[in-house]
Amino acid sequence: MNTFVRTFAAALVAASALSGISAMAQDYPNQPITIVVPFSAGGPTDTVTRLVAAAMSEDLGQQVVVQNVGGAGGTLGAGQVAAANADGYTLLLHHIGMSTAPALYASLPFDPMTDFAPIGLVTEVPMTVVARRDFEPATLEDLIAHIKENGENITYANAGIGAASQLCGLLIMDALDTKMTEVPYQGTGPAMTDLLGGQIDMMCDQTTNTTSQIQAGEIKAYAVTTPERIAVLPDLPTLAEGGLDNFNLAIWHGLYAPAGTDPAIVARLQTALQAALANETVGNSFAELGTYPVPADQATPEALAETLEGQIALWKEVISAAGVSAQ
Amino acid sequence: MDLVSSLALGFSVALDPVNILYCFIGVLLGTLVGVLPGIGPTATIAMLLPITFTLGPATALIMLAGIYYGAQYGGSTTAILINLPGESSSAVTAIDGYQMARQGRAGQALATAAIGSFFAGSVATLLLAFFAPPLARAALNFGAPEYFSLIVLGLLVSIALAHGSILKALAMIVLGLLLGMVGQDIYTGTPRFTFGVRELFGGLNFVAVAVGVFGIAEILRNLENETEREVGVKKVTNLWLTREDFGRIWAPILRGTGLGSVLGILPGGGHILSSFASYSAEKRLSKNPQEFGKGAIEGVAGPESANNAAAQTSFIPLMTLGIPAHPVMALMVGAFILQGITPGPNVINEQPALFWGIIASMWIGNLLLIILNLPLIGLWVKMLSIPYRVLFPAIVLFACIGTYSINQNIYDVYAIAFFAMVGYLLIRFGCEPAPLLLGFVLGPLLEEHLRRAMIISRGDPMIFVTRPISATLLLLALAAVLVAVLPAIRRKRQEVFVEDD
Amino acid sequence: MALNASRDDLAAGAIFVAFGSFFALEAMKYEFGTPFRMGPGFMPILLGGILVALGIAVAAKGFGKPETGSGPAWPWRGIVLVLGTILFFAATIRGLGFVPVVLTTALVTALSSRRNSWLAALVIALGLTMLCYLIFVVGLGMIVPLFGPWLSF
Repeated sequence: MNTFVRTFAAALVAASALSGISAMAQDYPNQPITIVVPFSAGGPTDTVTRLVAAAMSEDLGQQVVVQNVGGAGGTLGAGQVAAANADGYTLLLHHIGMSTAPALYASLPFDPMTDFAPIGLVTEVPMTVVARRDFEPATLEDLIAHIKENGENITYANAGIGAASQLCGLLIMDALDTKMTEVPYQGTGPAMTDLLGGQIDMMCDQTTNTTSQIQAGEIKAYAVTTPERIAVLPDLPTLAEGGLDNFNLAIWHGLYAPAGTDPAIVARLQTALQAALANETVGNSFAELGTYPVPADQATPEALAETLEGQIALWKEVISAAGVSAQ
Repeated sequence: MDLVSSLALGFSVALDPVNILYCFIGVLLGTLVGVLPGIGPTATIAMLLPITFTLGPATALIMLAGIYYGAQYGGSTTAILINLPGESSSAVTAIDGYQMARQGRAGQALATAAIGSFFAGSVATLLLAFFAPPLARAALNFGAPEYFSLIVLGLLVSIALAHGSILKALAMIVLGLLLGMVGQDIYTGTPRFTFGVRELFGGLNFVAVAVGVFGIAEILRNLENETEREVGVKKVTNLWLTREDFGRIWAPILRGTGLGSVLGILPGGGHILSSFASYSAEKRLSKNPQEFGKGAIEGVAGPESANNAAAQTSFIPLMTLGIPAHPVMALMVGAFILQGITPGPNVINEQPALFWGIIASMWIGNLLLIILNLPLIGLWVKMLSIPYRVLFPAIVLFACIGTYSINQNIYDVYAIAFFAMVGYLLIRFGCEPAPLLLGFVLGPLLEEHLRRAMIISRGDPMIFVTRPISATLLLLALAAVLVAVLPAIRRKRQEVFVEDD
Repeated sequence: MALNASRDDLAAGAIFVAFGSFFALEAMKYEFGTPFRMGPGFMPILLGGILVALGIAVAAKGFGKPETGSGPAWPWRGIVLVLGTILFFAATIRGLGFVPVVLTTALVTALSSRRNSWLAALVIALGLTMLCYLIFVVGLGMIVPLFGPWLSF
């Protein structure tokens, strides 16, 4: 089975490491490539990575192995890739957390801007503002009024410090100039359980987790966080439509190599990424997740670097204003 | 659609030869990785996810589910044979199972585990088929206060885990609770007791702690009096259960199945309690509680059944509501999504063939497992005839490689050495490791639910007694304490708790 | 020592007190919080205190009991070699790679038993290295270099 292929490949890795021959850019790739996901297997980022990895390996003609290095809000895995050999065989697929880490962690073992060679954006997953089924407000307008009126009496679930679900809440509270009572969870999975059971009032989470529950009527949905409405939930207004001007939050994912990687290799990986994102299976699977691959002109080092820089500046402001810190 | 036609549809999917084949591959792989410490079902399912791309959704999910419950079978094998539990449930099996093995009754212990697991798996699957949606709904009534009260009940009842001093058992539980708090606090992000080591932000790894205090500490103990005798286990004479054994295990299996089925449905960590709860119950109900900890077959039958029942019913919240009860279920969510199906309340209506096919396959998988495992018992027991001086370096290596392979985290391996030393000292001084592990797995849950309940109630502790389920659980906990301190029972206890050497 | 107490209980009690005070004292650095919003220090301080109390109780109970004797001999050789090799494994697996580390670990662990001669230990180590390679690397597709970066020149 496949494991044997991988074993053989691993033996090759070892053999080349032993002999010390570094891979030349012209015959890249000549051994399996590892994409590190800085989160545990089975989560939305892991799923996205596995879909992309499978399609990239078709284009590269080499196995692309996904390795989960979870922990410390994604900084462990990112730190590991930052320190890895810049030979193009160890890559990182990380999400928006790459841009929030500098603001959240005082001592970060890497610098997102200088320790990585960006390859390209992968996808932007929209988020949805949802609530328990019997939450009183009927529409987005009602909800905004309700939050302004009840503030801290509303319980707002999130997946802990720095999680996308918390950032979304921070932005909403910031825009409405009010505070809700934040209730942290281990992840949005357990938070969804409590939302379904009516134990808490509200949450904001990626469409990956919420779409099926919304469609089944198990929870109430009020808005999406992107500037435009989304195809899977076309009736859902955007937060901007509800008066939260310029509200724009999507969980963007990017692919990175360690800094110092040969530009020719980065270019080759960019081509593979663009091919993967144009792949029909990937597109369909992404649609099922409530998202879409970014257009080819976004799957470039320039676009990712620009996004990263802008987002780091944005989150620095929001996070320090909210007084949040992971240590 | 009525149940009969649903099940018929399910079996028509599950009995497809290709699906039977993949179900078999799944349970076989599950058994094998369950046997090895460290590499558990989570890692295996993660590694096999890409392979399942090429399979149909039903086939892929049938195989992945098979890996999960197959690993539950396999996990007890190493716990019984070499005292190396790979997860919290098999830590309980190790208590009496390993003692049985040392007395030459490894065959009986493994057979009991297999039979108990088969029975529990089959019954729990039926439960899944009949009552999944209403049960999942009922489980949603469990919020933070209810879980907190449930864990308090579990901790108080579990003092029965000890067969020595109650005071030491309590101290071990509290030590376990504290060790469980190492890592980043989810409420504030503060890293606690990490000495600035980033690798510890996620907390101590369960496998590292369990392998340390059980497996490696046991090796150190065995090396104590090596000069006098060859350690290890007695010669195995008989593999199969006697009529008397059957008489002793049927009731624990029934009770374990019931307890495990109920606890497994609760998505907030009920399955963790199942085997501990069953062990406590059996010890309480037994006419010979002094045998527990020294090779009581009931101490294997009950927890193994409870664990497997819970493993099976923990699919209920996933399949009916789309919410994962633990990391393996989270991985299953990923598997569903990769197959283009978003797990949620609609799966049962939109994909009836898939839903019922998976349920039917679980019954077939359990059947395959018992057919696979009973003949293996002879083989496993033969491995015990390997001299101990060869066996224990293998145990040390498996422990290191297995633990390292989970997260490629070397601090997990350092933790093995630390906990082996601490565990060895404490065991030498008359304490037992099982309560420590229980505390360790429940510590984070206890804190998490307590703090969440207090946030939701805005600081009012009355929330624990004004919510009926929570109040009932706390009353039960109170009753458990009262029973434990009633003087008559206490006298009997003192006879029970004479130290064994 | 003419101490009229169970040494085991005293030692166990001491370990509990040590752990309890470590956790409680360390947790003093963290925010304690209020009942509404408990801080990260709340539970560790509470439980650390309880553990110290339990440790004292365990030790106190030992005073009534007769001296139990010193127990079996300490397996110093085993403790040093077994725990030492586990530490060695952790420290070098990334640098030296799978084969050298597993071979050394198996060899030294085997030697921690007085029943193994040098030759026997070597045979066991070679056999186990082969077995572990087959199970973990071939069978389970574990991603690890067979010979690590420290060995490549």
